[in-house]
Amino acid sequence: MTARRPAVTAPVSMPPTVLRSRRLLAGSRMTLIGLRLIVVYLLALLLQLTFFSEVRVAEVAPELPALVAVLAGLFAGARHGSVIAFWAGLLWDVYLSTPLGLAAATFALVAYALGAVTEDLFHDTRIQTAVLVFIGTAATVAAYALLGTVVGQRGLIEDRLLRVVLVASALNAVLSLAAAPAMRWALGMRRAKSERKWRKPAEAARRGR
Amino acid sequence: MAVAQRSGRSRYRLLLLLLTAATLLTLDFRGFGPLETAQSRARDALEPVVSVFDAVLGPVAEVWTVMFSYNDLRSENAELRDEVDRLASADIRSAAQQDAFDRLLDATGVTYVDDVAQLTATVLRDSPGNFDDDAISIDAGHRHGVAPGMAVVTSAGFVGRVEIVDAASSTVTAVSDPGLVIGVRLLDTGDVGLGHGMAGDPTRFVVDAGLRWPETGDLTELPAIGSPVVTAAGSRYPADIPVGRVASVEPAEAGLALLVTVELAANVEDLGYVTVLLQAPTDEAPVGPDSPFPQDSP
Repeated sequence: MTARRPAVTAPVSMPPTVLRSRRLLAGSRMTLIGLRLIVVYLLALLLQLTFFSEVRVAEVAPELPALVAVLAGLFAGARHGSVIAFWAGLLWDVYLSTPLGLAAATFALVAYALGAVTEDLFHDTRIQTAVLVFIGTAATVAAYALLGTVVGQRGLIEDRLLRVVLVASALNAVLSLAAAPAMRWALGMRRAKSERKWRKPAEAARRGR
Repeated sequence: MAVAQRSGRSRYRLLLLLLTAATLLTLDFRGFGPLETAQSRARDALEPVVSVFDAVLGPVAEVWTVMFSYNDLRSENAELRDEVDRLASADIRSAAQQDAFDRLLDATGVTYVDDVAQLTATVLRDSPGNFDDDAISIDAGHRHGVAPGMAVVTSAGFVGRVEIVDAASSTVTAVSDPGLVIGVRLLDTGDVGLGHGMAGDPTRFVVDAGLRWPETGDLTELPAIGSPVVTAAGSRYPADIPVGRVASVEPAEAGLALLVTVELAANVEDLGYVTVLLQAPTDEAPVGPDSPFPQDSP
């Protein structure tokens, strides 16, 4: 008696040309996202270095590099968001008198935490995003001051820290109304559900006609 | 399973990022040359774009400032009107030009250092962030002979120390920074000590190391209020640069030491021009038994 061999089915494979073109497509999409992120981040950095070095509310400026990092954590998730935030922090470090790597570590940590915590949360309305940006910025500024003090920087934790945390977070929350769509565009994300919801009745009416 | 794997991978990635940041922090603390060069190049590359942004957004920022400092401006305006009434002939434009000229003279009329080459620089902008209140950007870099550690002054006195030098610009740490330790001499008593800025008060400086309370208990041996304080000969900076005047004297460390608060001579919050003293900085201040600086070098 001969044992019957199990039927071996050939794995469904794609022709190499299709695979190659898909890889190329994915690669070019990543490059495009990278370039868009650079554009958005540089704009934020330049605004921070020029406009917001003079324009302050209660002697506090918004923290645009932190805003980009927080939005990266929210929109790109813990895995990719932490990497984007790390680079955002590193370039910001170049302009700060604190040691290189301090803002990078802080931004990466907060973006990771924010991405992980809000992964399953519904946060696609503007107000929800603003609230999360407020929390994320507060965490970033506080963690930056704390980590800086741990590595021996003086003058980071002082009386005005609470004011800086609250005002910078509030300013970032307001600015997220403009920054969030820019980050969505940079990350190649679709428009928020809530925004689409608003358009639905109009589209339905048009279709009905 | 897949979710757990993905979360494990992202944790691993975060760990790598944090390790990279820790490595950069360590290298930066040790003054690793290539890292500083890379930072300097990055700033140099962006500087033209930053300048263009500055020029474009400057007027908008000024409008904002005018809008939100209206009351201050109104009282300032009233004072100016009084002055205009008194002077009668001076118009606003010439007053502004005169002000700029005065500020330039303030910066260049440094008379207390004779044998050191000087370079006048314009203050470009204040600190960009919320934690860098004591950093000032100036328009002179290593192209002009500026090096880290050089003293920055105005005719009023010591302003700070050059911290970061790029090709055409530099960052100065102001004397009000609590982290900038300076060796000073109290002219009234001749005592030498170490001092630093006070957090949250850019007009004050505190000398809290190296000064002893008079052993005899004779209070006449204390430095007089209002007596001048200058940089010490053994410090990293040229000697006898005015730092300020003694504002208060009090005992510290259970009455063994002396805590001297100094009113800074230079106003570091409103600078238009500064002078860089182009003297090669001393790497380390003399520390040892013969030195006036016992432990932390200034």
